[in-house]
Amino acid sequence: MAQSNFDRRRINGPDESYQPIFESDDEREARWRAGEPRKGRAARDIRPIFLKAGLINQANGSAYIETEKTKIACAVYGPRQSKTTVYNEKGRLNVEVKFAPFSCTRRRVPIRDAEDRSVAVQIQQALIPAVRLELLPKSTIDIFVTIIENDGIEGCIAAGSVAASVALADAGIEMLGLVAACSAAVVGEEIWMDPTEEEGQIASGSLVLAGLPALGTVTSVWQSGSMTPDEAIKCMEACQECCADVHSVMAQSLLESAPNT
Amino acid sequence: MAAASTTASSSSNSAEQDALKALTFQRLHPRTYLERFLAENIRPDGRDFDEWRDVSLNVGSISTADGSALVRLGSTTVVCGVKAEIAEPELDRPQEGFLVPNLDLPAICSPKFKPGPPTDEAQVLSDRLNEVLVSSGVVSTSSLCIEPGKAAWVLYVDATCINYDGNAFDATLLAMVAALKNTTLPKATYNEETKRTICSRKVREPLQIGRLPTSFSFGIFDGTHLLADPTSFEEPLLDTTISVVIDESGGLTSVMQLGLGVVGADDVLNKCIDAAKECWRKTRKGVYGTS
Repeated sequence: MAQSNFDRRRINGPDESYQPIFESDDEREARWRAGEPRKGRAARDIRPIFLKAGLINQANGSAYIETEKTKIACAVYGPRQSKTTVYNEKGRLNVEVKFAPFSCTRRRVPIRDAEDRSVAVQIQQALIPAVRLELLPKSTIDIFVTIIENDGIEGCIAAGSVAASVALADAGIEMLGLVAACSAAVVGEEIWMDPTEEEGQIASGSLVLAGLPALGTVTSVWQSGSMTPDEAIKCMEACQECCADVHSVMAQSLLESAPNT
Repeated sequence: MAAASTTASSSSNSAEQDALKALTFQRLHPRTYLERFLAENIRPDGRDFDEWRDVSLNVGSISTADGSALVRLGSTTVVCGVKAEIAEPELDRPQEGFLVPNLDLPAICSPKFKPGPPTDEAQVLSDRLNEVLVSSGVVSTSSLCIEPGKAAWVLYVDATCINYDGNAFDATLLAMVAALKNTTLPKATYNEETKRTICSRKVREPLQIGRLPTSFSFGIFDGTHLLADPTSFEEPLLDTTISVVIDESGGLTSVMQLGLGVVGADDVLNKCIDAAKECWRKTRKGVYGTS
């Protein structure tokens, strides 16, 4: 893609540069055909999660999550004083997402764009019902998420919500429960959990669900693409089951990072 | 039994209270806090004045980037990724490609950075890194040319700080050079007829690396003490910072000094250069080779 931004605050390259074009892919693995089973995993398996809390010592709370090729770091600063003069009775939760320039197949310009904002809004909607903001008047909690490597945008939203939730717990902010999230995609007739970027492209529709497994509630559902209502409900149920597994991984990582007293 | 447990709990309570008092004192009077430590010949994190933090380097973990590196210098964590794109060379330099380094200090890495455009600190560091990378000749821009006057590689070297605990310059230079060393470019051929460059998916060649510079930074506090590798607590209190860049043969590449380089009555620049060479010899000599 041609990029023609001159940012006076950064070192700039040439006015226009474009992504390398590759010769026709004879070597590339044959594209997926309808009816073929998933490669590398069972249809309902999620990718293994590596989750560690407390890696960023400058922040009040932090978490780093890695699910195969998706790598996300999250830091929580707060509760700190709200900058605005308007009195807010309930605390504010502010989520900012940043994609590293090298995180996607095509280089991302460091300027924030609409995709950053939409991922941030989804993570915020997943977390707000779980945090006890009524205990924090006049305060703001800032959550910063940096996506170091991106393998599937639905996976990023799910992993980002999980990391943010663990970081909030690591910061000692009171919550009603840990928020776990999972994504699913409809490929042909099957439902595949936790799609990668390649799988997301061949899917006809995808869904991200976030909820509190401890309370059995759902905080956010985001569906995109086309799927029948039945498929959507099946996806949601499958996601809720996986969320319970994710929740135990999150609890385990928090236990491990807690200082031994 | 009960008495022993209460004394144990009260002593742990008083230890907690002492820790809280020390933390409050550090927040309210950082300068005096540091002076008290330096008077005892030690720094707040327990190091000697000339002691360096441990460095760990991990390369090639990011598959979407053509080259990547993760550096941990003590707690300071920097991730660097190299993305290669293709562009037309400049008209007055038709045989040269481009090297575009940038450091981002986002809000995630420290409470003193707010989200938004790059702060002064990030801009200054990016510029200094650009100077060092160009002057030390890590990658010669003529090796990035695909077809003179028509197509050349542009290497975007983007570093993001994840945790800022001082001395981002050293950590970032290490990350950028290691990422460049780890970078492989697809073989590119320029097609005269279609005027386009086609790259091969099968053949990837590593970059031609010239020199491998390493940087060592010092700070001078109050004109009296020379501290090596300052942390984020010490950095705002320093009057002068000196950075010495050493290449892979132990030779001096560049020196940067901001402020008056005087401790007591002596000029310490030469002392810093010697200390940097010493540290390089002892600990950082094989740091790029081990990756």
